[in-house]
Amino acid sequence: MLVDELRQPVRLDESFDRRVMVRVRRAFAEQRKSRGWFGAASAVAHHPAWAAAMAACVVAVASVGVLRSRAPQRSGAAVAEAVQFVLVAPSAESVSVVGDFNNWGLGDSALVATNHEGVWSVSAPVPAGVHRYAFVVNGKQWVADPSAPRASDDDFGMPSSALVVEDGTK
Amino acid sequence: MNVRTLRRFVALLLGLAVAPVASAQDSRIPFKLDPASTAAINAVLDSAVAMGIPTAPLREKVYEGMGKGADGPRIVAAVRTLAADMARAHRALGTVATTDEIKAGASAMHAGVSAVELGQMKKQGGLRRSLTLPFTVLADIVSRGVPVRTAANAIRSLVGAGAKDQDINDFQKKVKDDIDSGAPPAAAVETRAKGAVNEKPKPESPDTTIRLDF
Repeated sequence: MLVDELRQPVRLDESFDRRVMVRVRRAFAEQRKSRGWFGAASAVAHHPAWAAAMAACVVAVASVGVLRSRAPQRSGAAVAEAVQFVLVAPSAESVSVVGDFNNWGLGDSALVATNHEGVWSVSAPVPAGVHRYAFVVNGKQWVADPSAPRASDDDFGMPSSALVVEDGTK
Repeated sequence: MNVRTLRRFVALLLGLAVAPVASAQDSRIPFKLDPASTAAINAVLDSAVAMGIPTAPLREKVYEGMGKGADGPRIVAAVRTLAADMARAHRALGTVATTDEIKAGASAMHAGVSAVELGQMKKQGGLRRSLTLPFTVLADIVSRGVPVRTAANAIRSLVGAGAKDQDINDFQKKVKDDIDSGAPPAAAVETRAKGAVNEKPKPESPDTTIRLDF
């Protein structure tokens, strides 16, 4: 019975919201008047330990900003789909996948494929959209995916393939 | 420590904190490139922003060049070419084109397809039909030796017949296999395009509609 009672919607009179907001605004105005601009600092102004802690926090936030800005960022939040890359290369000693989805392997971001009796494969989430990629065999030989469309704009003398990942949510 | 001293101290810290962040954000290329090339690429990126062209593909081109070990001037040249192709693709496809369509369209233009062809395909496909994959396949078959006009006609006929991306993907694979087997590229495309268009199921006529009367 108590549970049933608690589940009943609470009925408030129509002026409730207005009265609450009036109180909130009044309290905020009084607080601002008594403290002034940056008034919150006055509460800690007489405690050097607090001041030092604040300074450390500011420096820490600044450091995170620098690190973030160094990391490559993608525009928009595209949906990623799992894509399997496969290359048959029986004589290869290593195969990795690089493309615009992992900044072409810069900063050790290349996808390392695993060998299954000469069939090298690796799966990775790739954002929806059109991409260009290639296999790097033995760390130096660039190979286009023979089963994928060619990328026509081969500006650097090494072949690339094109990949269109559909947005599965659409 | 009084309030004024604390304010000055915090303001100084904020100033020191914001300065490196601002300079890092100003560096639009997060990986190291020589200063002259970086400046040239930043200028291209600024121009792209001013023209309303997406900059992500341009950055990706920089990383591609660096990943492939190209020197700065070569990367700058590639980025400038891509920016020019994207600008022409953007004009041809109109404001409704997505970043991916512009990127794929630029790739097709790089292969030799004209802006007029791209614009006609976009009109034919309609606003809702993404032409990212058709443009990608178009660039591919042109790079395999199919004459531009033949390739563009084939893709346009497929898009016009309502072919889905999967159909166009299958078409590309069959054309590639035919060419790899020794077929002349133009003949392979024309034959496979005819087959793909004929395979498309025709919309049912009203006479064949089954009516359920209850």
